[in-house]
Amino acid sequence: MNLYSFIVRRLLFMILVLVGVSLLVFTVMMILPPGQRLAAYVTSEKVTPEQMDALIAKYGLNDPAPVQYIRWLGNVLRGEFGYSVTASAPVITAFGLYFPTTLELVLYATPLIILVGVALGTLGAVRKDSVADHATRVFAIVGYSLPTFWLGLLLLMIFYGFLGIFPPGTLSNSASDVVMSSHFHHYTRLITIDAILNWRWDVFLDALYHMFLPALNLVIINSAMIMRLMRSSMLESLGQDYMMTARAKGADEKTLYKRHARRNALLPVITVSGLTLAGLMGGMVITETIFDRTGIGWWMARAATQLDVAAIMFNVLFLGTIYVMINLIVDVIYAYVDPRVRLS
Amino acid sequence: MSAQHLVETRELATNFYTFEGVVRALNNVSLVVDQGETYGIVGESGCGKSVTVRSMMRIVQAPGRIDGGKIVMFLNAEDKAKGIEILGRTEAYMASIRGKDISMIFQEPGAALNPVLSVHQQIAESYEFHRMDEMLEKSIATLEAHAKELGGGPAGWWNGLRKSLLRRELGAHKNYSARIQTIDNELYKLEDSTDAASLGRKRELNHERDKPVRRDFLVEFARRVPFFARYRRPLNRTVEAQVIDLLRSLGIPNPENIAQRYPHELSGGMQQRIVIAIALACHPTLLIADEPTSNLDVTIQAQIVDLIRDLKKTAISSVVFITHDLGLVAEMCDRVTVMYAGDVAETATVKELFRNPLHPYAQGLLDAVPKEIQEGELTIIPGAVPNLIRPPSGCRFHPRCSHKMAICEKEKPPTLELGPGHFVACHLYTKDQSK
Repeated sequence: MNLYSFIVRRLLFMILVLVGVSLLVFTVMMILPPGQRLAAYVTSEKVTPEQMDALIAKYGLNDPAPVQYIRWLGNVLRGEFGYSVTASAPVITAFGLYFPTTLELVLYATPLIILVGVALGTLGAVRKDSVADHATRVFAIVGYSLPTFWLGLLLLMIFYGFLGIFPPGTLSNSASDVVMSSHFHHYTRLITIDAILNWRWDVFLDALYHMFLPALNLVIINSAMIMRLMRSSMLESLGQDYMMTARAKGADEKTLYKRHARRNALLPVITVSGLTLAGLMGGMVITETIFDRTGIGWWMARAATQLDVAAIMFNVLFLGTIYVMINLIVDVIYAYVDPRVRLS
Repeated sequence: MSAQHLVETRELATNFYTFEGVVRALNNVSLVVDQGETYGIVGESGCGKSVTVRSMMRIVQAPGRIDGGKIVMFLNAEDKAKGIEILGRTEAYMASIRGKDISMIFQEPGAALNPVLSVHQQIAESYEFHRMDEMLEKSIATLEAHAKELGGGPAGWWNGLRKSLLRRELGAHKNYSARIQTIDNELYKLEDSTDAASLGRKRELNHERDKPVRRDFLVEFARRVPFFARYRRPLNRTVEAQVIDLLRSLGIPNPENIAQRYPHELSGGMQQRIVIAIALACHPTLLIADEPTSNLDVTIQAQIVDLIRDLKKTAISSVVFITHDLGLVAEMCDRVTVMYAGDVAETATVKELFRNPLHPYAQGLLDAVPKEIQEGELTIIPGAVPNLIRPPSGCRFHPRCSHKMAICEKEKPPTLELGPGHFVACHLYTKDQSK
């Protein structure tokens, strides 16, 4: 069985997962009264109670649940996700507006999380029981046990509150004006990349400046697990017989650690890194709310408190897709790195 | 007449610092491996055989540590009588002789091979570590032979670029080898000097020796940057050809195919052959075989033993063979050492040991082997190898010994030479001598 049929099979499997996820979410949605659920079908905010009754009848919100589910599924397949009350826009439009902010933070934070986790974990294993090892272990336990929201608030208080640096938000007012102006072309909607393409280094630096604290927050919390895993996994491979073979053939320390120990030690880390990345997307709710970044996490937090059903349904489906996709990518990478694993 | 020594350990003490306490795995082990011989080490599991040879190569894994004694290697081709004490040398020095002068093959071939690297990658490393000069020279020669066919144009230009990069790399390696040679020569002269000035100079030289190969910026750049790194393809092809030749010379069928495989795709016997190939890639002077057949099928065992014996005749000068199969010892070895619980019990030529074992432990081991004409039941040695965190006092064998005397509990027996080349450490014979 080759790689392509494996991927196709997993994508088909993804559809099953998404049907499951949507059934779950739909069941939760059915608990809500029809008036609340109407938001998924309405594309404007100004609706009178009379119109609402008419619309409930029109969209069959009092129909039996299975009928409604099939109908909802049909709408989703046609790309109609309804109207988000919190964003005052159709869900798809709002998503296009909020998602780049989240993606940008994830794109910067993920490599850092993996890099910091792997580097500190390796250091701890190679210099086992040294000061550096103990320091990284303390860091790991702190990162592991701190709640995201608490660390976020702490960082904000120290850096912004006391030192007056690294403000919350996505951009400063002046940079935001530049981005909103008609001279600024939105190529990718990722601010840092667009800023470079528009040759506006001030905007680029401003975006990074605002991203520093939320990224730091994510790195401290999420790299802890990768670090601990990397350390124990590296220690395990350092004790294996093949390390002795490598030393017996005259490998220097660098080759020993990099080529022989680390490659084996990274295998479990790949799996966990994938899960971390997927979890990061969902975990953005807290980070974005605290640092006031208008991404999908921020949007979801508001949607949840205001019963914005259409937005929640869409985002849950989206996160489900992300989870399955990342797991698929992890499996492919894993098979590539570990020759013992065959995709079947 | 005495043969030239190759490796000598003097009072070697290796301890393992475990959570439960210090395991005194080697209790002042002294033994001598001569040039050109096959030297057997026998004993039950846990007697310190593997630790002894791992200490010889300084590859004892954590939490183990060599805490005392000396290991002297006589590797200099010109002056075979003068040795180098390797415990005082740096880790980089050890790396430079491991695999090149001394190699080791292991008990469990499945675990001894790295699961994520192909057979080719694992063997090629030996060439990368020790024979880079030669490989680079060969690659440049191939490119030069190729140059005439290519002529001018982009292909010829690329060929020229690759050649000049390889030449620069070769230059760096040659400088490095020359530097190492000079330092080693000076260190060699200073080996026995112990005055303050020469000790300082030795430290300086050791430090200097640890510095890696100095490649120029262009080469470093090209090696690291993906597209330019292709300049090393001729080198990779040269190494590949070497690996395949080596596999073929070890009688491995279809070496081109085997080289691309990963360890888990091979049988145990084939894996052990690959381990042997790794050990032999650079034609070492000494091959240490640490129970190379104990985890293999009987038929495969015979093949591997035959292979090692053939290699002993053709490729390697000396072999240290660890086993608990006394039949194998009789078949393969010239001299043999019996170890017990971190002590050397008896050392003799194979004939002498089998005909006239002196140490009660050696006698017990031999009595436990079925004879051609077996009379009565096989005898066993009662008890088991002791826990070496709290080893028995005096002679470590005394709790299991049928000839136990009062002195055995108090004093460690000295090693006595009771016949030419026949050494034994047992109080039975100290008493005889004092009479």
